[in-house]
Amino acid sequence: MQTNSYARAPRFDFRKSLPFWLIVPTIVVLLAIQVYPALYTAWLSLQERTPEGWKFVGTNNFTRLFSTALFKESIGHTIIFLVGYSALTLILAFIIALLLKRNVLFSGFYLTLLFVPWIIADIIAGLVFRLLVAPEYGLLSGILQNPNLFPPNGLSVLTAARPDPWIGNFPFPPSPAMVFLILAATWRALPFVTLLILAALQTVPGEVLESARIDGAGGWQINRYITIPLILPAMVVALFNLTLGGMNGVGMVFSLTGGGPGTTTYVLSFLLYNIGWTQLAFGRAAALALLIAIVNWILIFSVLRITRVNERSR
Amino acid sequence: MRLISHRSQRGLESSLVSIALIIVCILVIVPILTTVIISFKKQADITRKPPVLFPCDTETSKLDWSACRWATEGYERVLVPKPSDKALLGFELTGKMFKIYIPNTIFYATVTSFIVAFLASLSGFAFSRYKFRGHNALMAGIMAVTGVPLLTNLLALYQMGIILRKTLPFYNDRLFLVFTYIGFFLPISVWIVKGFFDAIPRDLEESALIDGCTPLGALARIVMPLAMPGLASVFLMTFIGVWNEFIVAYLLVNKNEYKPAMFGLYDFLSQNIINLQVIAAACLLIAAPIIILFLFTRRTFFKAMVEGAVKG
Repeated sequence: MQTNSYARAPRFDFRKSLPFWLIVPTIVVLLAIQVYPALYTAWLSLQERTPEGWKFVGTNNFTRLFSTALFKESIGHTIIFLVGYSALTLILAFIIALLLKRNVLFSGFYLTLLFVPWIIADIIAGLVFRLLVAPEYGLLSGILQNPNLFPPNGLSVLTAARPDPWIGNFPFPPSPAMVFLILAATWRALPFVTLLILAALQTVPGEVLESARIDGAGGWQINRYITIPLILPAMVVALFNLTLGGMNGVGMVFSLTGGGPGTTTYVLSFLLYNIGWTQLAFGRAAALALLIAIVNWILIFSVLRITRVNERSR
Repeated sequence: MRLISHRSQRGLESSLVSIALIIVCILVIVPILTTVIISFKKQADITRKPPVLFPCDTETSKLDWSACRWATEGYERVLVPKPSDKALLGFELTGKMFKIYIPNTIFYATVTSFIVAFLASLSGFAFSRYKFRGHNALMAGIMAVTGVPLLTNLLALYQMGIILRKTLPFYNDRLFLVFTYIGFFLPISVWIVKGFFDAIPRDLEESALIDGCTPLGALARIVMPLAMPGLASVFLMTFIGVWNEFIVAYLLVNKNEYKPAMFGLYDFLSQNIINLQVIAAACLLIAAPIIILFLFTRRTFFKAMVEGAVKG
């Protein structure tokens, strides 16, 4: 964040090798746990396991991956999941942040309370929501499985079949389990995004808002033309964190739906787990892993460009 | 007159905001409260159709608070207390959760956070105070590394684990897991710590150096103490991250005695499909320590989180 770090050169004579030795341990760990495995996965994506060992198969893994129906379906699920939970989280977080900014009595207390879902592990959050809709015995199941409210047979979130897609094979409208997954993910991501937006809101100068009010701008106009443009960078950062978290996290899918019912909550990261560790097709899993990593990098570097964080932190 | 009406309007507005916030808080907390309620139910009340929120109904009335059938069955099945003469309270907790899984988690989280905070402060100091060739490239590289998804690396780490298990005589799942966690939490921590170091004025160090202090001495005696709140927040973030982490351990650990709590919890899920009270109790017991830790350290924690989000 600071711009002063290299504004002036070090005045005193450091031993030339010291920074090198300070960084070496970090670099060694990162090479072993991040860089080497990533390269290994890239190599793996071009291999296939045979009884004699790994065999080079070129882009075979990719073409096989692209031709699987479940891969295409999972892309659809991932898009629905990401759009649904990011939009819901951003809108709700913006509203809650606007409320918290009023600085009413106990707003620190509210913020702390609101934060509890984020501290909880994703696998626990998934379980907490699973308890609500567990077939037959979940607390909400009593209401949802009432045939009068949800004709014709009532709704069982974790076993309901997929509704017929409207457009081609794109899995929209989402299955009830997917909707519930989105709600659970929103619940967990909400505090974090609220805090980010609140921090940005507090940098909006009060005089600007005051003068807009004097000029006769209404509440919505102020939000639309002043507040939202000013906090847009924070919104982008939040969206980026949401997308990365949503695309790479699997804990909640594991504990809430297990990918089911059927394959209706298979997102790409869960598919990766499934191909890799259930089907033990490591080559194809590596191909998928590589694709996800590339999407991640595109996201990270485009956000860095948009927000110019790299400029500020240098 | 005008002033008064303005003021009362303010008061009305702020109470409306308060009411809205209270409603939001209640909605957010409801899933946790229902989990608490479920954890104190009896098996017979869990498997009732249709399900009831409070196990407090009698033959004559729907909700009679004096007739509630609360039970600690769920907790007992997680903790498995057995009477023991040696133990402090007259009984001993023999459930795997408290004998094996949670101690494992505490071990992994503590060791990882110490090492991450230490390594991050060394390299954060170097990145913050020195300019050298490849400085910016290395920082960008560390950022790029955070973009590799966990599962992408795990694919390779899983294979590495299998090979190392066969070839290294001193190999141990525990060691490998901690090392992996360090690798996963280090990059973002380096960025955060560098940010905190950048904010510390250099004049203090410079005078210490002039007085004959070595650069490492300056780091240990001046910069680190000043950056303590920042280092503490990195420590906390890593601690909570490791505590809550599931998939890495799930894929890399295969011995029962090395499993952390989240893995144990996942086992509970498959063993207790109908015993919702056991799952609820296990969830609460594992989440409680981290929630309490958060309540005491929330300021430190918020700081690292905003920093981390902006950085990457």
